[in-house]
Amino acid sequence: MTIFHGFNTTASALTAQRLRMDVVASNMANVDTTRGRFVNGEWEPYKRKMVVMQPNENRFSTHLSKAMGRSDHPGNGVKVSRIVEDQTPFKLVYQPDHPDANAEGYVSLPNVDPLKEMVDMMSATRSYEANVTTLNATKNMLMKALEIGKG
Amino acid sequence: MKIFSNPSQQLLEQSLNAASLRQKTISQNIANVDTPNYKAKKTIFKHQLDKALEGQRLSAYRTDDRHIPFGGKVSTSPAVVVSRKDTMFNHNGNNVDIEHEMSEMAKNQIYYNAMIERLNGRFNSLKTVIGGGK
Repeated sequence: MTIFHGFNTTASALTAQRLRMDVVASNMANVDTTRGRFVNGEWEPYKRKMVVMQPNENRFSTHLSKAMGRSDHPGNGVKVSRIVEDQTPFKLVYQPDHPDANAEGYVSLPNVDPLKEMVDMMSATRSYEANVTTLNATKNMLMKALEIGKG
Repeated sequence: MKIFSNPSQQLLEQSLNAASLRQKTISQNIANVDTPNYKAKKTIFKHQLDKALEGQRLSAYRTDDRHIPFGGKVSTSPAVVVSRKDTMFNHNGNNVDIEHEMSEMAKNQIYYNAMIERLNGRFNSLKTVIGGGK
């Protein structure tokens, strides 16, 4: 565990929250995309994406301290393990003149709910801010430590 | 009289190490504030400071057996990280309490700075002594 361990932890969280924000941006941008993917000769609407986060345990230092039976290892931050697609059904809207309308005149629109995305965005922003605060606090501690013995 | 390895200085060093570890633990908790099934961690070191004061090096004069003894030797056991199990769980199995973590961090900052001030105070006293009070 190095002195910059705290920084690395917070940095991983900043990266993860930024990725969450990017995914929200992608969902919002594609809220009306009816041609997201070409499957079996037919266009399928865009599917809402979600990030899956998990603690970053798969590091050498984590395994080493576990193997040594040490109890002073806080962990290695967070990582985004996957981006999954929301499997909820598409919204059906009656629009007979739409080029992607089916025989009955209904168009499937992406399963993106702008409200959900806004909530997700707020959550990502707040978490990012909390992590920036933590980063500054850790930095101030290290700077203070450099003052030991300066008198 | 030992100049650099006296108990209070060792206690200060240990406290600084523990506060640093606590900062890392808090960083980890805040980093995982949105992680499903993550269990918050906590750094414990205060009880070890208390335990350190139990052993007697500088024993106080007691006029009654029921008086609480004080003074002590320095324990060399480091701080430990444990999981917090006393908190409520979120809907996604995560039990990080962001308000608690942020206030703990603020506390830890002040604590760390206080320890550094105290350490610097000790060094300044030593400097004064070495300089013959000049």
